[in-house]
Amino acid sequence: MKYRFQVIPELCTGCRTCELACAFKYAKDGIPGTSRIYPLAYAKDQYVPVVCFQCDDAACVKACMFDALRRNDETGAVELDKERCVKCEACVAACPFGCALTDTGQNEIVKCDLCQGDPVCARFCPEAALKYVEIED
Amino acid sequence: MVKLQINGKTVEAREGEMLLAVIQRMGIDVPTQCHHEAIEPTGNCRLCMVEITKKNWDGWKKSVTSCLYPVEEGLIVETHNDKLFEIRKTILDLQLARSPHSDYVTKMAAEYGLEKSSYPAEPQGDDCIMCYACTRICDVLGKSAIAPTMRGHEKIIAGPFGEAPPDCIGCLSCAHICPTDHIKWNDKGNTRKIWDKKFKLIKCKKCGKKTITREFADYLIEKRELPSEYFDTCDVCKRKETAEKMGELVIKAREATI
Ligand code: SF4
Ligand code: SF4
Ligand code: SF4
Ligand code: FES
Repeated sequence: MKYRFQVIPELCTGCRTCELACAFKYAKDGIPGTSRIYPLAYAKDQYVPVVCFQCDDAACVKACMFDALRRNDETGAVELDKERCVKCEACVAACPFGCALTDTGQNEIVKCDLCQGDPVCARFCPEAALKYVEIED
Repeated sequence: MVKLQINGKTVEAREGEMLLAVIQRMGIDVPTQCHHEAIEPTGNCRLCMVEITKKNWDGWKKSVTSCLYPVEEGLIVETHNDKLFEIRKTILDLQLARSPHSDYVTKMAAEYGLEKSSYPAEPQGDDCIMCYACTRICDVLGKSAIAPTMRGHEKIIAGPFGEAPPDCIGCLSCAHICPTDHIKWNDKGNTRKIWDKKFKLIKCKKCGKKTITREFADYLIEKRELPSEYFDTCDVCKRKETAEKMGELVIKAREATI
């Protein structure tokens, strides 16, 4: 079964619940991590959640000289292998959408991996602006 | 699949896998210094030593570096015993003599009951433990800008002839991978300095935030055929741009339905 993450900007109210859910899911020692999703305003009171598109031809995957970014075919996500990452920040610089991030607090590079197939942001979005849906193979 | 025994437990491993990977998967803590997933194992530090034997070896045992030893059917592995403890302790004792000021070495040595080296310490000793993680990661990058130079006591990691490495692009991979933090670098204003070489940091065209070095970006643009515009803006500003572009689409879609 294949899945795809969907963002429906029309439904986003900018409540930032997704951002909180993400930051808390990736907390360490009680300190919230860097959120991988950002509800940003594009006009007055108009928001869109900006998050990794899991691009087919991903710039971050290409930019990583150490093969630390790879596709998980099951979840569809581009995942970062922390054991291979040397924090050169090539992916952060290369992603055209700004969705590869430096978590300065935890001294790590992070990106959305769709929570390994159970995206917490989608679970918590009160407006169902984020969805993780089954698609045909 | 290969079946073997580690500390009395039977485990399965993939053909060609190194012993260390299996040991770590089992949650067993074997000390390592020169091992990193992004580089080829070279067995430099020797701390990951384990003892191996087989049923038909008549009780004969041998010590091998687990990071470099591929799994074998029927192998019987021991990761911790008195002999291995002594081997690891001796290695750390020698490192403590060479790098008496290194926090990393001092902490590891303390775990083996060593407060100071039993060998005469080199007061001038630097923090490099010659694990070559830095040169190997630079090899993977495709630059091979640094290498060991000189011999014996004088041996250091540096550019060719001990000078600033012409091929270095200032990516910091070597500095980040170095277990002892021996490789010094700094960013001041628009300039990064590492290995006695200066680099220009890219300034986000929108907010001025510094990102990676111009040299590193150019290398990625050429090697990985990435559009150069990707590197003109920082991640924060690129997220804003993304929101604006998505917003335009929403507005267009809304207008179309009216
Ligand atoms: S920061 Fe890590 S994941 Fe990103 S390009 Fe560098 S090594 Fe790869
Ligand atoms: S900073 Fe220079 S020497 Fe270090 S890995 Fe990058 S290119 Fe190689
Ligand atoms: S500089 Fe650091 S990474 Fe390089 S050989 Fe020395 S200890 Fe290892
Ligand atoms: S980790 Fe195996 S020799 Fe260093």
